[in-house]
Amino acid sequence: MRLSELKVGDKAEVTAVKAESATRRRIMDMGLIKGTRFRVVRVAPLGDPMEISFKGLFLAMRKNEAEGILVEKQSG
Amino acid sequence: MSVGKEIRIALAGNPNCGKTSLFNALTGAHQKVGNFSGVTVEKHEGYLDYKGYRIVVVDLPGIYSLTPYSPEEIVTREYLIREPPDVVVNVLEGPNLERNLILTTQLMELEVDFLVALNMIDEVEEKGIIIEIKQLQKLLGCHIIPTSAKKSIGIDSLLDHVIRVSRNDIEIRKNKLFFRPEVESSVEKITAMLTHQPELGGYNARWLAIKLLENDREVYHEVQHYPVWVKVELALQDALREAERLHDSEPEMLITEDRHAFIRGAMQECVRQPGGVKTTASDYIDMVVLNRLLGLPIFLLVVWAIFQLTFTLGSPLMGGLQFLFGIIASAIAPLLPNETLRSIVIDGIIAGVGGVLVFLPNIVLLFIGLSFLEASGYMARAAFVIDRVMHRFGLHGKSFIPMITGFGCSIPAIMATRTLKSRTDRLVTIMIIPFMSCGAKLPVYVLLTAAFFTPDVAANVMFGIYLLGIIVGLWTALILKKTVMKSDSEPFVMELPPYRWPTFTSVFFQAKVKALMYLKKAGTLILSAVIIIWAVSNYPRNGALEATLSTERVRIAGSSMAAAEKIKLKRELDLRIKSEQLEYSVAGRAGKVLEPLIRPLGFDWRIGIALVTGLAAKEVVVSTLGTIYSIGQSDGAPVELKSILRHDPSFSRATALSLMVFVLLYIPCVAAIGVMKKEVGRWRPVLLYSAYSLSVAWILSFVVYRLALLML
Repeated sequence: MRLSELKVGDKAEVTAVKAESATRRRIMDMGLIKGTRFRVVRVAPLGDPMEISFKGLFLAMRKNEAEGILVEKQSG
Repeated sequence: MSVGKEIRIALAGNPNCGKTSLFNALTGAHQKVGNFSGVTVEKHEGYLDYKGYRIVVVDLPGIYSLTPYSPEEIVTREYLIREPPDVVVNVLEGPNLERNLILTTQLMELEVDFLVALNMIDEVEEKGIIIEIKQLQKLLGCHIIPTSAKKSIGIDSLLDHVIRVSRNDIEIRKNKLFFRPEVESSVEKITAMLTHQPELGGYNARWLAIKLLENDREVYHEVQHYPVWVKVELALQDALREAERLHDSEPEMLITEDRHAFIRGAMQECVRQPGGVKTTASDYIDMVVLNRLLGLPIFLLVVWAIFQLTFTLGSPLMGGLQFLFGIIASAIAPLLPNETLRSIVIDGIIAGVGGVLVFLPNIVLLFIGLSFLEASGYMARAAFVIDRVMHRFGLHGKSFIPMITGFGCSIPAIMATRTLKSRTDRLVTIMIIPFMSCGAKLPVYVLLTAAFFTPDVAANVMFGIYLLGIIVGLWTALILKKTVMKSDSEPFVMELPPYRWPTFTSVFFQAKVKALMYLKKAGTLILSAVIIIWAVSNYPRNGALEATLSTERVRIAGSSMAAAEKIKLKRELDLRIKSEQLEYSVAGRAGKVLEPLIRPLGFDWRIGIALVTGLAAKEVVVSTLGTIYSIGQSDGAPVELKSILRHDPSFSRATALSLMVFVLLYIPCVAAIGVMKKEVGRWRPVLLYSAYSLSVAWILSFVVYRLALLML
């Protein structure tokens, strides 16, 4: 599924980053690559962007950008 | 102490890694700010003298990676390659080591002489993180010096090591990062092709090979023109096929994954984190600040506070400055008996300098506020909260604060767009700011609404004008984003850094830098523009008029009237002369020439003159109207301008509305134009923009005027 489809509190692992090149580069430079496990922390008050957390880092991204990140949701 | 050899060092690191604090700790007061050549990325440079060396420090912009996507990244990379400093100091945010090491691996690939400042070591210790520095040094192939810029820990040790690295007196061998075998063999193959290519002398061949495999467009452009490209291109295609066959992926991905694997290995080997994810103070703050219900109100409160700080606190300071200039002018006036000279000095030069300086309090206060928000970590949150709204108009969440600041004054607002990283986003934001009705336009609205509307309607009219500005601004943003500025909008992928208490020096230093930059860069431009506008509204002198003036004066002085009567007559005479002189001047003639063009908007030549002089500053529209209309009131008591306008047959409610719309939208004042030019870098977009705003002003004023004529 796509990262943009996750709900607040969900935990997931990145399976692929498919965004267009500049966005993809930026996402990967932040350390969000295949295999990274993260948690959806919150969604902005107006519903977009969303915030995820991994390795002690908090990252905000628009749902638009999150659509390009394929993930596997993890239970628990 | 004699100063011997010079060592040039550059600080490189992620945003929020404490690089700027370290820069301040190293160089203290010896700093200057310029721009990197050709771009509007700020270049902070400073120096210090240490153990007989002069160490020149360049603070590179904060970046996450050396890829060529943002102007900051391109500038940093170009700088490291074209003007390699003697030593690069890679500043790492100790508590967030893993992410910070991505840049370090890229410095390793670039094979520059570098060492690591493991910054915020105090926080590392507080959090109970243990870092095996010796082992990490071996892996990264460089010296690592624990520092804390805030607590001045490790600064001398860092400098000692800088000197050692510059003398090549090091114990740690450079290390290379190797990729998985199939990628590594492609890297080596292409490296071999690129080695001993004299045209590519400036570059390190292995780095070029890696970048080509990463699809780096800048490096592509560089290498493409040489004969060797034919061979290289084939090798790249091979690598792509291999990656697809073996991993269903691309070399670019594999290289990134291998860098991360290297970092993960290094972290496992050298760093012990206390187990479990602890909720930090930042998390608790965000639970409130980014709360679904509270997030927006808190954001609006912060914006309101910044606005109040800048303008409410700034206006008495502005008033003080104006008062001071008034005193200076009246002190100088008696020393200049020649009337022409006096006018040049007082109305031209002193007024011009005053016109430049008057913006300083706002600029300084705004940047104290903004750098506090930026350094504390709230700025990123602000963008997070409001991005949805801004994105709808093709803007970035960070555009909001500069835009709102525009309601106070465009000058600091335009400068505040520097918080935006993407050039396109910056340009668009700069171009909508002047439509946010600034404080200087307010006197115009106050005058016209007071003259033509009852108080309750006046408030609505005023609100409508502000709203119109916002609508035109956002509409302009949409059009720009859909047409000329379609390309590369900045992806919204942004770190929300941990909250930190900003240091006093860094906040004030930012404000000082902005103030100096404004004075040096925009100040001269504004000054000359103000003087030009003064000249066109005062010259040529009307000789005949001046002759009448002196005979009349003599006549009044010699007559047998009471003293009070004489003073009154003299004042009236002065006003009439002033008004007629203005009509005679270039500005006055321009007003008349313009009349046919602005007639459809309900304006006569007198308004035309006010619009010309209003380019100096929008509030001048009011004082010019005052000068022009001051004639024809010979009944003694000074009549308020608003009642003169109300009774003037050429002025109506429709004219008033049309004029308000025109003043709201037409070409920004010369000060704003000057700052715009400095921030954009070129004249062309600024001139195009001026033409655009003039056309929009004309069209909307026309529509408003015609509608008002029908309805009122």
